[in-house]
Amino acid sequence: MIYYLGAFGLIFIGLYIVLVKHNLIKVIIGLSILDTGINLFLISIGFVKKGTAPIFSRPGLKAIRMVDPVPQALVLTAIVIGVAVLALALSLAIRLYQHYGTLNLRKIKEQKW
Amino acid sequence: MVNPVLLIVVPLGLAFAIPLFGFISKRIEKYIPTVAMLFNLIVSLLLIPKALQQPIVVSIGGFPPPFCINLVAGPVGILFSAIIALVGLLVSIYALDYIKEGAATEKYHTLYLLLLVGATGVVLTGDIFNLFVFFEILCISSYALVAYSGDKAGIESAVKYLIQGTIGSALLLIAIALLYGLFGTLNMADIARNIDSVSPISVFVPLVLFITGLGVEAAIFPLNAWLPDAHSSAPSSISAILSGIAIEVGIYAVARVVFTIFGAQSIFLFLVFLGLVTLLIGEMCAFSQRNIKRLLAYSSIGQIGLILFALGIATHSGVVGGLFQIIAHTLSKALLFLTVGYMIYRTGSLEISTLEGMGRRMPLTSLAFTIGAFSLVGLPPFAGFPSKFLIVRAALITQEPLFVVLIALVLLGTIIEGAYFLRIIQVLYFKGTQEHKSTNAQVKREEAPIIALIPIFILMLLILIIGIYPKLVTGVLNSAAGEFLNRIEYIKAVLG
Repeated sequence: MIYYLGAFGLIFIGLYIVLVKHNLIKVIIGLSILDTGINLFLISIGFVKKGTAPIFSRPGLKAIRMVDPVPQALVLTAIVIGVAVLALALSLAIRLYQHYGTLNLRKIKEQKW
Repeated sequence: MVNPVLLIVVPLGLAFAIPLFGFISKRIEKYIPTVAMLFNLIVSLLLIPKALQQPIVVSIGGFPPPFCINLVAGPVGILFSAIIALVGLLVSIYALDYIKEGAATEKYHTLYLLLLVGATGVVLTGDIFNLFVFFEILCISSYALVAYSGDKAGIESAVKYLIQGTIGSALLLIAIALLYGLFGTLNMADIARNIDSVSPISVFVPLVLFITGLGVEAAIFPLNAWLPDAHSSAPSSISAILSGIAIEVGIYAVARVVFTIFGAQSIFLFLVFLGLVTLLIGEMCAFSQRNIKRLLAYSSIGQIGLILFALGIATHSGVVGGLFQIIAHTLSKALLFLTVGYMIYRTGSLEISTLEGMGRRMPLTSLAFTIGAFSLVGLPPFAGFPSKFLIVRAALITQEPLFVVLIALVLLGTIIEGAYFLRIIQVLYFKGTQEHKSTNAQVKREEAPIIALIPIFILMLLILIIGIYPKLVTGVLNSAAGEFLNRIEYIKAVLG
């Protein structure tokens, strides 16, 4: 239960930062926290208390006491995707700073409806 | 028999091999996307007859379907992959000349091919997490491509697009996690089989998160703030792909989730209203634009609304109309963006008023623009006509007064669309020609280069052929609509 609370706490903190903060770097940090929250959520779905890794490493291990390996595989993939997005976002932030001399998103509004 | 996996594997491998080809010769890099998409088009066309009889289910890793990641190449999947390959091929031919050779061209071609791989993967996969992964491939490469030109507008729109897109995919991932928690499986067919066994309330949250998350990429109304910026500041060849393929793939994913996985009857009317609002907002914003690419981007929002409206009717003829509209929009919008690309290139400005007299300076390109615009408005004998006709017919044969009112509003949107497209055509042909006649009778012809005219010509021909002879595609569309509406068939085909 505590894991779910933590996961959704992180998700909402991340969303709050993205929606409220004006600085692009802070927004990117918010996206990263959001990602972390989701990863924690995925892991806690497959979590079994006092479980073992899903490998029949020694005799007598029961499948029921193993954590679910699928969410872990999903999280590995999601982490890789998150890193790619983060890298792209930071490189765009550098270019944005070169063009505008600021990272304040409120001051950057050449494109509008 | 050809394996549908090749549709993903070959372009993916070639995409990452492009820098390696660059070591051999800088010249051949740009031909790789063309080759890869030609291959995809041929394979898709070969697979169509087989997929129409029975969806081709490929289990990766050799396990039976609920335990493995599987590809489902049914009528819908193959239809979409054929469209993606066709437009991808034509735009890559266009880009041979349009994207000038420079330091970063291999990055352009790699990202371009990755975008198309992502789109093909989304439409072929039968596993929701795999759908997410391919969606991310599509999104990340399109963020990077929007920023490709590296100018102020491009970077700013890419940042906006990235932030909104990332939140969308985060919501998508939460929805996937919730479904996995409920059902312990990621297979679409397996989830669809078990969806009725849990209470509707617990499925409602993932459904909403799915629609919101996918809606960002599909540019459904409250989530489409990124689209006009991104589509108007990307290079024109990329705008064509984003407008013609990326958002259609988003709509496909929404339809797949709503129809196949959730079978959510109660939400169809909501989709109809969402589509109508998207249509009207898009068309009204487009009407007030002075920037030609922004106008086309807003018109894309309108068209997406129309597609969503048609799919939301959720009768057989409605879904056929929606899918037909996807084909018509993809071809016409790709054509419009490609022609506009060279018009902008010649005038050096995005303002509509600078296009005066283009009808004489670039007659062939202007003709192509006119045909694309007429097709989008829905004039016969172009491809947009049968699609709009089918949608109107589908709304009327439901025989519900509500739909009669709604279709009247849709037609109002079409009138607005007609108004702004005719305004541009007037600027192209009839404005500013008087002065030209008096000052110098000989207007300099500056046609787009021949290599760009080839894809423009093929698109023109396709729009005409499909418009005159719609039966060419309706056969495939009928079985595609059947796949969307008949969940039981789909589940049986995948799980046996």
